Amino acid sequence: MDRFLYLTFDGLSRGAVYAAFALALVLIWRAARIVNFAQGAMAVATAYAGYSVADATGSYWLGFLVAVTGGLVLGAVVERVVMRFVDHSSPLNGVVVALGLVLIIQGVLGMIYGDGYRPAPAPFSRDAFEIGGIAILSRYDLFVFAAVGAVVVLLTLLFTRTATGLRMRAAAFAPDVSRLLGVPVGGMLTLGWALAAAVGSLAGMLVLPTELGLHPNAMDLLFVSAFTAAVVGGLDSPVGAVVGGLVVGLLLAYVGGYLGATVAPMAVLVLLVVVLLGRPDGLFARAKARTA
Amino acid sequence: MSTRDEQGLYIHHTTVRFGGLLALDDVSLRVPPGRVVGIIGPNGAGKTTLFNVICGFVVPQAGAITLDGRPLRPRPDHLYRHGIARTLQGVGQFGGMTVLENVQVGQRRRARPEEAYAALERCGVAEHAGEYPGSLPYAKRKRVELARALVARPRILLLDEPAGGLDAAEIGWLAELIRSARTTVLLVEHHMDLVMSVCDEILVLDFGKPIALGTPGEIRSDPKVAEAYLGAPA
Repeated sequence: MDRFLYLTFDGLSRGAVYAAFALALVLIWRAARIVNFAQGAMAVATAYAGYSVADATGSYWLGFLVAVTGGLVLGAVVERVVMRFVDHSSPLNGVVVALGLVLIIQGVLGMIYGDGYRPAPAPFSRDAFEIGGIAILSRYDLFVFAAVGAVVVLLTLLFTRTATGLRMRAAAFAPDVSRLLGVPVGGMLTLGWALAAAVGSLAGMLVLPTELGLHPNAMDLLFVSAFTAAVVGGLDSPVGAVVGGLVVGLLLAYVGGYLGATVAPMAVLVLLVVVLLGRPDGLFARAKARTA
Repeated sequence: MSTRDEQGLYIHHTTVRFGGLLALDDVSLRVPPGRVVGIIGPNGAGKTTLFNVICGFVVPQAGAITLDGRPLRPRPDHLYRHGIARTLQGVGQFGGMTVLENVQVGQRRRARPEEAYAALERCGVAEHAGEYPGSLPYAKRKRVELARALVARPRILLLDEPAGGLDAAEIGWLAELIRSARTTVLLVEHHMDLVMSVCDEILVLDFGKPIALGTPGEIRSDPKVAEAYLGAPA
């Protein structure tokens, strides 16, 4: 039972990060109908920038701010400079360009920072508290929950309570109709990419201290897990991304804990295949609207 | 300052070709402020193309549009700031947003949230505010579309076949709404009773060419219109 509880809380903590990263993928999917395969590489790039600032100034929080702000800027630049000029007549075009971005970003990071792992220290202790003799959560886990929770709440408020969020959703649903209603569709798309990249950068900053450290490929596995989370929940559903992230986090924790860490990645792929076969639009896909 | 004759929307000698097809052939039309002007014609006459020119979806090979005497270079995302709202034949609502949210997207910036609800009330669909448009019958969705266009309080309202798919009672309601809109209306419609009852002036297109322009009475008695559209007597 102790082990089960420990694995559950560990899975929820990891799942929260997957949820944030899946949310970033969902934001871009809803806005542009592109699975941003460059999301992981973009998050690593901003994490390098953040930890460089943290090393230079001695302030983790300044580095954290730089990483998240850098994500905001990088997302906007990628949309305005690259993605806007992609021919979207085939969904494959955006995927190929995103994969090209991955190679470019990882290549440039390798040239600047080298191929070795660099330390990515956590701002809080990762030693778990013991309650009733059971190690449950660390201060860092609590920070992860708080950060991801804050992002989810802020995004929910943005999309449901503000005119900007309403216009972002409208631009994503029907760009031509939105233009007729005065919605600056291009600006909304840029904002969507910026927000998504910022959330991805946050997820990167949260997960890297729990992994081996900074490396140009450090987010590759996280991307697979987060992509699975987004597909499990449904690429159109922010709620699904959060639930999918938690499901994937728990699955990885249980399978890794009971069957061995080497089996865990396989479990994620099996889950992905099962969902794609059984419910390809995801667990939280909206029912098709009536047409007459 | 524009002169009185320049007030309103003015389409000057507009020609549109799609490859070898002449969709609009030297079409001119003035839509004075506060008037309801109808555009009728058989299918393929160029009615919706004319709307698409005004909205900037189609760029004409020749011609110009002026609004209150000033050149209007139409772009879909600039229509709104010129005070022009358009409804679409295919309704065009945001399926993943509630009825109220659909209307809120059409609101002017800094508009009060209750204005969207008031627009739904005016169109008789306020009780569906929290539902998704896809769950509503077609006629109700048409009403939501009208509410979304009206909420911006447009100077010029472009209605593209608003009566399509509506029953007689709904068309009666629509006629009353157009009459009471207190704005300039440009109406593309096949439903002759509606057009004749609400329009101050009617332009008739046939194969992209304007063949008649006049009051409903003049259009009714025009033999060219009877031949091209209403059906020549056997």
